Amino acid sequence: MLFIHQTTCISPQQTFPEKDINLEYLYESSDNKLKARDPGYENIPANQLRKMGKSVRLGMGAALPLIPKDPKGIIIGTANAGMEESIEFMKQIIDHNEGILSPGTFVQSTPNTIASQISLYSGNKGYNITHVHAGMAFENALLDTAMLIKENPLNTYLVGGVDEIGTKNHNIDRLQSWYKKELVSNIHLYEADSPGSIAGEGAAMFLVNGNKTNAMARFKALTTLYSEDEDIVAGRMQWFLDDQLRTGENIDLLLTGENGDDRLLKFFSACESIMDNETTVARFKHMCGEYPTASSFALWIACQVLTNQALPQHMIKKGSIKKEYKNLLIYNNYKGMQHSFMLVSKIS
Amino acid sequence: MNQMNTMETGQLKQQLKEQIIKFLNLTSVTPDNIKDDQPLFGEGEGLGLDSIDSLELIVLLNREYGIIIRDPKEGRKVLVDINTIVAYIEKNRTK
Repeated sequence: MLFIHQTTCISPQQTFPEKDINLEYLYESSDNKLKARDPGYENIPANQLRKMGKSVRLGMGAALPLIPKDPKGIIIGTANAGMEESIEFMKQIIDHNEGILSPGTFVQSTPNTIASQISLYSGNKGYNITHVHAGMAFENALLDTAMLIKENPLNTYLVGGVDEIGTKNHNIDRLQSWYKKELVSNIHLYEADSPGSIAGEGAAMFLVNGNKTNAMARFKALTTLYSEDEDIVAGRMQWFLDDQLRTGENIDLLLTGENGDDRLLKFFSACESIMDNETTVARFKHMCGEYPTASSFALWIACQVLTNQALPQHMIKKGSIKKEYKNLLIYNNYKGMQHSFMLVSKIS
Repeated sequence: MNQMNTMETGQLKQQLKEQIIKFLNLTSVTPDNIKDDQPLFGEGEGLGLDSIDSLELIVLLNREYGIIIRDPKEGRKVLVDINTIVAYIEKNRTK
């Protein structure tokens, strides 16, 4: 268990900076992509900014407002950060016959560039690690953080999830039919009766520790599994709820990563069928698009809902807006194989 | 003849400025913003380039002009400003 004290999020919606957050208005996708809204990055020196790849900019931009709290460690989950630069660097090797190569793309060609750049910029010499387990990257970053906090409850850590829409990665995923062939707007994402989703990107950061005082949300538990069987996934969800909820406790909001891919609907239907009629079901992928660490955006949304006790109407799939949200369950699914459940609750 | 050489040097300076902007992703700079004698490195009057940029410039000179700078001391004399780089290109270029 850990307590979330502060969050930031750069996404395709108006989520950054904190004073300008507006979740009611929905920015539309273009060409089946939901690209992150560029906040201008005024806090990053221009000479550093020009050398950063997109995912590094997203991660640094989201992390900087939280850095003054001087976390004891920086833990980042990312599936593809640095991949664009890595491919560009390998292309140079071929194009220039292993001759003199540009160092810029090499420096940025590994996923841990985000965590290390945050560390270099802030002078943070604490624990610094990057988790890269595709659709479980952010979940593993959280698990790592939870273990650190279990050992040192008073330590504060920066944990986040970052991914970008890279040209090469997008093409590979599109050819594997993870993105829709026909043009679909995010506003009508869930009406599309076809395989694939729309691409997304973003960075969400969280300052966490084991101290309940002044926290905005309690991250109670997390479970992950690999499966292509919806009954196994629903069974894990039932076990998770039985294990975590006390007698009389309910899930007020189930926040799912339904993404418009008709091949994956069976998982969401199976999980929703476990919920009682009192549980409101909401979705978030029409806001951020599909990417491996989209669950970090979901956790950021959960913190917003718990803090403000408000849920935008466009997110609701089933049920109604409630007067009070106490327990939120996030169910995310990446490529019909990697599943995660995160239980987040209001500070009582 | 002198006039032609001057014009060629001027064209080369313009081309080099455009290449530097592209190679180093200097998005807020145009060729007109870079003076021929403006120091490339250091803050203040300089363009603010750093050690990673110097490696990028060495790659640029190799790819665009066929020049290989092997000696760091030589590099420090060449990579001063547009004038010094262009003079070195005119003397040593292989393409």
